[in-house]
Amino acid sequence: MIKIENLHASINGKEILKGLDLEVKAGEVHAIMGPNGAGKSTLASVLAGREDYEITAGSVTFLGKDLLELATEDRAREGLFLAFQYPVEIPGVSNVNFLRTALNEKRAYHGQDPISAKDFMALVREKSALVELDAKLASRAVNEGFSGGEKKRNEIFQMAMLEPKLAVLDETDSGLDIDALRIVSQGVNALKSPENACVVITHYQRLLDYIVPDVVHVLYDGKIVKSGPKELALELEERGYDWIKDSL
Amino acid sequence: METLISNKLLQFVADLGPSKLQVPQSLHAAAQAYLLGQDFPTTKAERFKYTRLAKLANAQLSAAHQLDAAQLEQHCILTDAYTIYVNNDQITIPQNLPVGLEINLNTQVSGTFHEASFYDIFGALNILHAQNGVSIALAKNCTLDKPIQIVQANSGGKYFYRHHFNFGANSEATVYFVSKQQEQTTSFSHTHFQYEIAQDARIKIFKLQDTAQNHFDFNEDRAQQAAKSHFEINTLTLDGSFVRNDTMVAVQGEHAQTYLNGAYWLKEEQHVANYTTIDHQVANCESFETYKGVAGDKATAVFNGKVFVRKDAQKTNAYQSNANVLLSENASVNSKPELEIYADDVKCSHGSTTGQLDENALFYLRARGLSAASAKTLLLQAFMEDVLTYVKHEEVLAYVQQRIAERFNWSY
Ligand SMILES: Nc1ncnc2c1ncn2[C@@H]1O[C@H](COP(=O)(O)OP(=O)(O)O)[C@@H](O)[C@H]1O
Ligand SMILES: [Mg+2]
Repeated sequence: MIKIENLHASINGKEILKGLDLEVKAGEVHAIMGPNGAGKSTLASVLAGREDYEITAGSVTFLGKDLLELATEDRAREGLFLAFQYPVEIPGVSNVNFLRTALNEKRAYHGQDPISAKDFMALVREKSALVELDAKLASRAVNEGFSGGEKKRNEIFQMAMLEPKLAVLDETDSGLDIDALRIVSQGVNALKSPENACVVITHYQRLLDYIVPDVVHVLYDGKIVKSGPKELALELEERGYDWIKDSL
Repeated sequence: METLISNKLLQFVADLGPSKLQVPQSLHAAAQAYLLGQDFPTTKAERFKYTRLAKLANAQLSAAHQLDAAQLEQHCILTDAYTIYVNNDQITIPQNLPVGLEINLNTQVSGTFHEASFYDIFGALNILHAQNGVSIALAKNCTLDKPIQIVQANSGGKYFYRHHFNFGANSEATVYFVSKQQEQTTSFSHTHFQYEIAQDARIKIFKLQDTAQNHFDFNEDRAQQAAKSHFEINTLTLDGSFVRNDTMVAVQGEHAQTYLNGAYWLKEEQHVANYTTIDHQVANCESFETYKGVAGDKATAVFNGKVFVRKDAQKTNAYQSNANVLLSENASVNSKPELEIYADDVKCSHGSTTGQLDENALFYLRARGLSAASAKTLLLQAFMEDVLTYVKHEEVLAYVQQRIAERFNWSY
């Protein structure tokens, strides 16, 4: 699905990713954990194509294509989805309207006809129910006036609408209460299939009780420094990150 | 005394006859005195700092060309309205007006806004050279069942128009002023509007400015409001290579409300300038002013908004804002809000922003698969959306949206 090799990225001349390697195969769920400032969101942003970052070395292959050569929107159309750690509020832009445009531009990219208004609305109903997002909320301006939990649920709603091949969830669990956590996880699990994959960036192992990872990685100072089975998450929760730092 | 005027101004007025309206002697003299020794203003003049008049001075205006009824009708936007056509020397006034509404040809240059007639040379020229105009009176307690629509079709020539509105106490009306241009003509117009709004009247003016290349469109609006009146001017500039709007509202009665809203969608080499003055002379009034626009290519927008709160205007609540989005490095916006407050117990705020689209929002939308162009369009439409919420008339809204869609590829 995606293969990241020796990725180096910097912003404003400061190197944040310092030779990161990661491979995720179809059907897998990977968790990335790591202390604040390690570069987790940077990795997510670089994958999504944020232009503020300079890629100084390395490569990313996504479904056989050179991901770094693609424009942000083409990455999305190829099937990459980023659930933002801090979803942006966009006053005046209707959530469902922009999603319809997004969906239709993706379909056009793949040579498909636009979705009919009726099918689209049916899809909105189905997917908003999945994440228990009020249909009214789904059609309001993007994230405007949404609570923290609503914003995160909206991210998963959008993911469900766009049916990506690879979803990168950046701390989608932060700030969620246990109910919201369950709902978000449900949404993610419902979309799991042998054809797609998921990278879950998180601080807390509690999310991983709901979304069970195949592999857990530790991202530290711009690199994956340790990988292991899901039990690694428990160990990190108990012992923190210092023991990893000491073992480097 | 010999009137000394320089070449540009002299050339400009050479082919203009004297006003066809009666001009009070004192006003005539004042206009002449004002023009004495004046030239076309250069960019050194405060009010023309960003407006180059050389283009106007050098323009080859086409000969005035009278349009026939069918051509005039094509410039109409509202199908159901009391429609007046203004086309060069010809003014057509609707028949069968309801009781309380009178529309006549204007015969008299009124000196009501004496001082405010001399903000620039064009105001003074209008007094001396007004060719045409209408005088509209709405009786007290009269609520119009349909809007008034004034269609000014520009088709060559150089015209000074003068329209007077008299809205009686507790009357209610909406006026749409449509400014359009006949294809393949080059023209100049300076239109002076006077509004007298009596107590409790509720009046909304919409300016739908949709001229094209080669029209020099000057507008001068002067209003005075009595107590408890509600007055709005909404100026929507949809197209036009050269547009100047100069609006002054004198708030003279307590508990009056004033709304000045403006919106402009600019590209290519359009130049659109909005000068506004709200003069709070008495206590307990509110004014709300919001101008918003986008400017692409090499367009230039100017906003200059003055709010005066005089010594006696305690408890004034005045809000003003101007927000702009620049779409290109060569577009420019010059925004200058000015508050002059002489009363101590007032609430006034003003703000001006000019910037690019929110990069985070653009990235967010693109990360969902929208092309950069679609994402920009969505954000721009959203930025201008609230402006359209005060356009309640369906036909007008449809027209405005259609024009924006045509010119900017936005979709509604
Ligand atoms: N615009 C920026 N300029 C300079 N440094 C930045 C910028 N944005 C983020 N950083 C730095 O990059 C590092 C990694 O940040 P981030 O990827 O957000 O970490 P994480 O998501 O793992 O908490 C941090 O040290 C942060 O301070
Ligand atoms: Mg982060």
